[in-house]
Amino acid sequence: MLSKIFKVFSRELKTARRDSMAILIIVMPVLFAFGITLFTPGLNDTTVNIALLESDDKSHIEYLEQFAKVEIFENREDVLTRVNKRDDMAAIMQKGDGYEIILQGNEPEIVEGYAKALNALYEIGANKEETTAAMYSFGHTVSPLKTMLVNMLISMTIMLSGMLIAISIVGEKADNTINAINVTPVSQTSFVIGKSMMGGLIAMVSIIISLFITGYYDINWFMIILVGLTSLILSLVVGFVQGLASDDVIEAAANVKMIMIPIAGSIVGYELLADKWQWTMYWSPFYWAYKANKLVLTKTADWPTILLCTGMVLVLSLVVYFLAKPKIREGLS
Amino acid sequence: MKLLSSYFKEMKIAARGFYFYIEIFFAVILLVILLVAVNEKSVSKQKEFLYYDMPEAFKEFVIQRQIDKGALKLIEPTEFKMKAIGFEVKNEETGEVETYNFDAEIISLRTYQEYDLDTGELNKTAYIADNEEDMIRLAYQEQKIGATVAVNDQGERSFRYYNQGYETDKFVNLLYILHNKTPDVLAAAVESQEVTKLGDIQTLNNRENLVPVMVVFMGSLMGFFIVMAYIYLDKDEGVIRAFAVTPSSIWKYLLTKTMVIMTTVVVSSSIITIPVMGLQPNYFLFYLLLIISTFAFASLGLFISSFFDTISKAFGALYIIMIAMMIPAFSYYIPSFDPVWLRFFPTYPLLQSMKEIIMINTDLGYVLTYSAVFLGGGVLLFVLANFRFKKTLTV
Repeated sequence: MLSKIFKVFSRELKTARRDSMAILIIVMPVLFAFGITLFTPGLNDTTVNIALLESDDKSHIEYLEQFAKVEIFENREDVLTRVNKRDDMAAIMQKGDGYEIILQGNEPEIVEGYAKALNALYEIGANKEETTAAMYSFGHTVSPLKTMLVNMLISMTIMLSGMLIAISIVGEKADNTINAINVTPVSQTSFVIGKSMMGGLIAMVSIIISLFITGYYDINWFMIILVGLTSLILSLVVGFVQGLASDDVIEAAANVKMIMIPIAGSIVGYELLADKWQWTMYWSPFYWAYKANKLVLTKTADWPTILLCTGMVLVLSLVVYFLAKPKIREGLS
Repeated sequence: MKLLSSYFKEMKIAARGFYFYIEIFFAVILLVILLVAVNEKSVSKQKEFLYYDMPEAFKEFVIQRQIDKGALKLIEPTEFKMKAIGFEVKNEETGEVETYNFDAEIISLRTYQEYDLDTGELNKTAYIADNEEDMIRLAYQEQKIGATVAVNDQGERSFRYYNQGYETDKFVNLLYILHNKTPDVLAAAVESQEVTKLGDIQTLNNRENLVPVMVVFMGSLMGFFIVMAYIYLDKDEGVIRAFAVTPSSIWKYLLTKTMVIMTTVVVSSSIITIPVMGLQPNYFLFYLLLIISTFAFASLGLFISSFFDTISKAFGALYIIMIAMMIPAFSYYIPSFDPVWLRFFPTYPLLQSMKEIIMINTDLGYVLTYSAVFLGGGVLLFVLANFRFKKTLTV
C-alpha cells in the first residue's frame, strides 16, 4: 500500500511542477514572511505619536524625539487636522508660558498619560543622568508580536495546505477519477492519501523557508520538524475530510470558512484566555499545534511538553478522522 | 425582468444548497461568540514581576499604603511551574554579563491586582517574588517585564529593570527618565498639565469594535472568494457554455451571481450587527456601503476569475489578495500604527467607514465619499470582467 501511495505522491509532485498553483502556495507564505520581517519593527515601535509646531522650541522637539514618534507641522491648523485624523495622535503646543496638550477625544487613556508625563518631564528638566533606574537585558531580539505573527503564518499555511488538498479532491471527484480508481490496482484510500501528501509537503517546505526568512534559524529544528510533521497529519485530515465531504467547490469554500473558526478560536484562546481557562481549548488540535510552535519559537520548549502537544495533535486528528469516517466512505463511493 | 427572474431562480438554487445555510450558521456562531465570549470592557492581561529589595516592614508598609488607597488588591497566590533553565543577563550600563542556572521547581507568589484610581479599571497584575533570583527567572520564562524596587540607606528609591531586550530605545529612555530623584515634583507637574479635547467623541466598546471587522472580512471580502467559487462551479457543470446559446447577456449572468452573494452577505451581516448594535447605527448607510462594497469585491473576484480556467489555478491570486486585504486590521486595532502605504488597501477605508457608520456621530462625508469610490471601482471592475468574459466566451 505504501509504495502505491508513494507512486501517487510522486505523480502529484510531477504534476505540481507543471502547475503554478503549488509554486504559488510555497511562494506566498514566504512573501508574507518577508512582510512580517519588514513591518513588525513599525508595529513594535509604537509608544506614542506627538504632533509639534515647527516654531516650537528646538530643545522641546529634541527632548520629545527621544521618547516618542514626533511629527512637525507648519501651523496650528495643520496640527489640529492631524490630530483629527483616525489614528492616535496627541499634539503639544505652546500656550502662554507653558504648553497645552490637544487630543481628539477618543484616544486610549495611555496616550493622554504618555503625553502628560513626557511634557511634565520636559518642564521639570528630567534627564537620563538623574535617573534612579538601571537597565538589565536578557538579550532577546524577537518581539512577542513577531512570534505571534509567525505562528499565525504557520497556522495559516496548514489551513492553506488543507484547502489545497480539499480543492484537489473535489476536482478529482468532479472528473470522476476517484470512481475510475476502482479499476486500477491502487485503492481509493491510497489514491487520496497520496494526493493529500502533496499539500502536506508544500506546507512543510513553506514553513521552513518562512522561519529562515523571519530569522528563527537558531530554534530547535528537531522540535519544529516534529511539530511540523504532526501538523502535516492535521492538514491531511482536514483537507481529506473537507474534500470528501464537499460535493463541489462551493461546499469546499463553505467548509474552509467553517474550519477558520477552530483555527482563529485556538489562537485567540491561547493568547487571551487566563491560565485557569486554557483547558477550554484542549479539544482543538490547532490549539496544541499553536502552543507547541510558540514554545519552540520563543525557545522555551522542553521535550516532555512538545511530545505532549504533538501527541495531542495526533490523537485529536485521528479522532476527527474516525468521527468523519462514515462521511469519508460516503464521499469515496 | 430577465435579470430579476434569473436572480430569483439563482436564489432558489442557492437556498437548496449547503453554502447559504453555512453562511447563516457561521454568522450565528460569530454572534454567539461576540455576545458570550467578548467582554464589553477590555480586561488588562498585563503582568509584571517585582522584588522589593528593602526591609520586610518597609515593604509591607509600601504595599499596604497602596492597598489603602485602593490601587492594589491582594488576590489568591499564583503557582508557576518553573523549568530547568540557564540564561545570561546583561547590565546595559556596564556591559557585565551574569549567568543564571536553575532547576525545575514550583514557585508560589503573592499576587496583587493594580487598579487605576480614576477609572477603577484593572491596570495590571503584579507578582511579588521573595527573592531577586526568582523574579529574574520568572521575567525570563514568562517573557514579561521584571523589576527590583530597592531603598538605599538614605531612604531613596531605585529601580533595576529586567527587560527582554527587544524593547525600543524610546521605551527604555522613557523608563530611565520616569524614575528620577524627584518623583513628587514629577507627579505635581503631570497633574498641572493642561489638556484640551477637540470633541466628546464616542468610542466603541470591545464588542462593538469587532463588528466592522466581522462585517468587512466575513461579509464583503468573502464576496470576492465566493463569486469565484460560483463561476468555476458553473463552468465545471457546463452552465456557462449553455448560457452562451441563450438570449440572455453575459453581464446579466455575472450580475445575478453577484446579487445572490449580496443577498447572502446582507443576511449574515444583519445577524451579527443588529443584535450587537441595536438601533445605534445608521442602517441606511450601513446597507448602502455593505451592498456596494460586496459588489466591488465580487466584481474583483469576477475579473480575477476571467484569467484562470480552474479554481485551483486561480487559488494563488485568490489567497494573496485575501490575505493582503486583511492587513489593515492591524491598523484598525493598533491606531498608532498607521503607515501611509496601508491607507491604499481598499479594506482600510472600508473598515473605517463601517466604524463611522456604527457610531452615533457618523462622518457622513467620509462614508459617502468611499461608498462612491467603491461603487465606481466596482462598476469599472465589473465592466472589465464582462469584457474579458465576452472576449473569451468561456467565462
